[in-house]
Amino acid sequence: MHYPFWDQPIGYGVLMAVIAVFHVFVSHFAIGGGLYLVVNEHLARRDGDMARLAFLEKLSKFFAMVTLVAGALTGVGIWFVIGLLAPAATEALIHNYVWGWATEWTFFVVEIAAAMLYFYGWKRLTAKAHLTLGWIYFGAAWLSLAVINGILTFMLTPGRWLVTGDFWQGFFNPTYWPSLVLRTGVCVMLAGLYALLVASRLEAGDFKARTVRQAAGWAVVGLAVTALAQAWYWKAIPAAVTARALETMPTPVRAIVLSLWLAAALGAGVLALVVLAPRRFGTAAALAFMALGMAWFGAFEWSRESLRKPYILAGYMYGNGAEVAQTATYQREGFLPQITFRTGDDGADLFRHACRSCHTLDGYKALRPALAGADRAYLVALVQGAHLLRGNMPPFLGTPREAELIADHLYQRTDHRSLAEIYRIDGLALGRRAYDLRCGKCHAVGTASDKAKSLAGQSAEDLSGMLDMASSLGEGMPAYTGDAAERKALVAYLQTLGQGGKP
Amino acid sequence: MTLPDYHFISAPLWLVTALHLLTLTLHLAAMSCLLGGTLIALWTGARKAWPAPDAAGFARVLPAATAATVSLGVAPLLFLQLVYPRQVYAATIVSGWFWLAVIGAVITAYYAFYRTSFQAHRTGRVSLGLLALAALGLLYTSLVYSSVFALAEQPALLRALYAKDQSGWVWNPAAGAYGLRWLHMVLGALTVGGFFVSVLGRKSPAMAATGRAAFVGGMAAAAAVGFLYLISLDADLGAYMRTPAMPVLVVSLALSLAALHFHAKKHFGLSGLCLFLSVFGMVYMRHVLRLVRLQGSFDLAAWRVAPQWSPFLLFLVCFLLMLGVLVWMAKLFFRPDEDVTEA
Repeated sequence: MHYPFWDQPIGYGVLMAVIAVFHVFVSHFAIGGGLYLVVNEHLARRDGDMARLAFLEKLSKFFAMVTLVAGALTGVGIWFVIGLLAPAATEALIHNYVWGWATEWTFFVVEIAAAMLYFYGWKRLTAKAHLTLGWIYFGAAWLSLAVINGILTFMLTPGRWLVTGDFWQGFFNPTYWPSLVLRTGVCVMLAGLYALLVASRLEAGDFKARTVRQAAGWAVVGLAVTALAQAWYWKAIPAAVTARALETMPTPVRAIVLSLWLAAALGAGVLALVVLAPRRFGTAAALAFMALGMAWFGAFEWSRESLRKPYILAGYMYGNGAEVAQTATYQREGFLPQITFRTGDDGADLFRHACRSCHTLDGYKALRPALAGADRAYLVALVQGAHLLRGNMPPFLGTPREAELIADHLYQRTDHRSLAEIYRIDGLALGRRAYDLRCGKCHAVGTASDKAKSLAGQSAEDLSGMLDMASSLGEGMPAYTGDAAERKALVAYLQTLGQGGKP
Repeated sequence: MTLPDYHFISAPLWLVTALHLLTLTLHLAAMSCLLGGTLIALWTGARKAWPAPDAAGFARVLPAATAATVSLGVAPLLFLQLVYPRQVYAATIVSGWFWLAVIGAVITAYYAFYRTSFQAHRTGRVSLGLLALAALGLLYTSLVYSSVFALAEQPALLRALYAKDQSGWVWNPAAGAYGLRWLHMVLGALTVGGFFVSVLGRKSPAMAATGRAAFVGGMAAAAAVGFLYLISLDADLGAYMRTPAMPVLVVSLALSLAALHFHAKKHFGLSGLCLFLSVFGMVYMRHVLRLVRLQGSFDLAAWRVAPQWSPFLLFLVCFLLMLGVLVWMAKLFFRPDEDVTEA
């Protein structure tokens, strides 16, 4: 509320994901890759294995390029992006965790310096000195993760901090340790996958077979640690959060299930490779494994972000920057007086600060198509009952007049002809559209809030009567405000739902 | 349940401010070596003024200078939020796309430096095209920083611009407010870059001469532009003159001259120290000017101070360890060659 709003068309989720996901891949690889390099260098020097040393030196060049440049810069990029997209949350995090971040910075500086010296030191340093720099690099990189992990997990599970405001209670929150183990496993897995990719380009022979087997071992061990830690992580999340996710948010649940399948596929693939064809292992397979690993990790990050909804800082600040502690103030005085940067268009300002951090009009989580055919009264009801909709949306905390201003803003930007006119449909197709628009935003078919069974055996008259009294059926239920044709089609569709979804 | 209030500063304001100024000075010193060094390398490269091995040797230092600039730039960005609550972040949002493009510009410059460095190592030649590309990336970044930070000092303009355009495509139109300031920063970078070149190339007459010329010439030009910038402050000048910035200005100028003096005597360590302290003075003066300009926009005294001493202590220990480890690693790396074949 105290900041301007960056009204860009891409959508906050997409922009954040593009930079953040890329960064987490690179940064986790930077840690695991460092460990892989230094452990293997140690083994190679012990065994006098010059072929392996040459392989590692080659590996370290790409490693340095990726971690020093892309890793470091996208890390700074995340700073830039969170400051642009969620300035209030960034402010709250900085005020609470400035010393955590500052500590992480000291590790970051050592990590960068050690990586450069390690990379340039292959020919210049003694074996002992070179290995020492490698271990310093890995230690600093992992400690950097250990600190950032505290702040990252705090955002989902702040634990006792919500009561005490104590730095350490927030930092060592309920998911701190499982997340740290999980991420350490990811680091090892990504290092193995990357080494597989480099090894796939080696000439077929004993050295390649050895390298592939060893890299596969890293990938499988990392994956196993990660899979176990993911179960631990899930258990450490407060039961209320996981229960709510299972009931109301199909997105994170799907992501978790997807991630488990991806992990299984990855593990099976890598194991099969070790047993069957380490010598003939090709780049296409290595790329496929790398893609699977990244998809799995991406799915995990996606689920973590989704589970946090409707908050950006769980229990403390909603995704749109509204502070839980200020609820009474918002309700009493409204949102508008709290918005520091105004444009003169109150509806637009309210829409930006209440809705735009998740929704765009035409792009990501687009509202224009989702609300096509909605009338103004229904839009007002939707805004006021936002917290009841699917996807764990934040509640609208402003005044009733402000809800009307947002609804007006949306109404002016959506197609408010009848659904039949917009989509040129009738009958059950129209009924289905009407259901999606007016019922499905809470009662999606197949979810916990699916009410289809309660419709069984009801006549068209009963169902029409139910629509008449919709606003009295439960908290936040809007009145039915569609036209007669839409009502008739909707009633017919409701009857099919009552019969098990088959017309 | 009463939720914790985040409107507090987790250490005394003087401490946070000191850390901000110190880390910003470190960042600016590294950035100036990088930007100034790149501009000098580009200029001398176009004129073929340096022997090829010298030019190649210098090009190989630039990736490390970039790494230092980037990693030292994180901390001041962090403390910024505590020292000037909301002002700078608000300005970055209004110019969001330009601000975000800084990441792309620096990545481009970074890769260009690495490519140049590898090429120089392999062929002994420096690619002027890549250097120019990197210089463009750095100049763009510096211009965006000047523009955004100047915008942050003009809350009324910031609000007016936002009211007209919320897309993040707003470039600060008040070029008068930051043009001279940006030029001063670039000339300052040339000065420090000149010092950097002269020290690195002290065994090469051509490099030492170029570095010396950039050091002296850059300092004179920076002083002149800085004076013009002071005059351009108009209404703020009176208030600014009454702050401790004025004595600091005098001391900084004296330190700059001392840096020149010691440099001429080839006491590079002392010269570098004076130059660093002089940059610190400039950073302090910018800080005071920002506070003068933002008077009435926020009151830091109103913020609750609730020190978090144990996390701070952890940071302090890690900070000292960081310094120790950096020095130790540098010694390890640059010590006289030993038998590197030892397995």
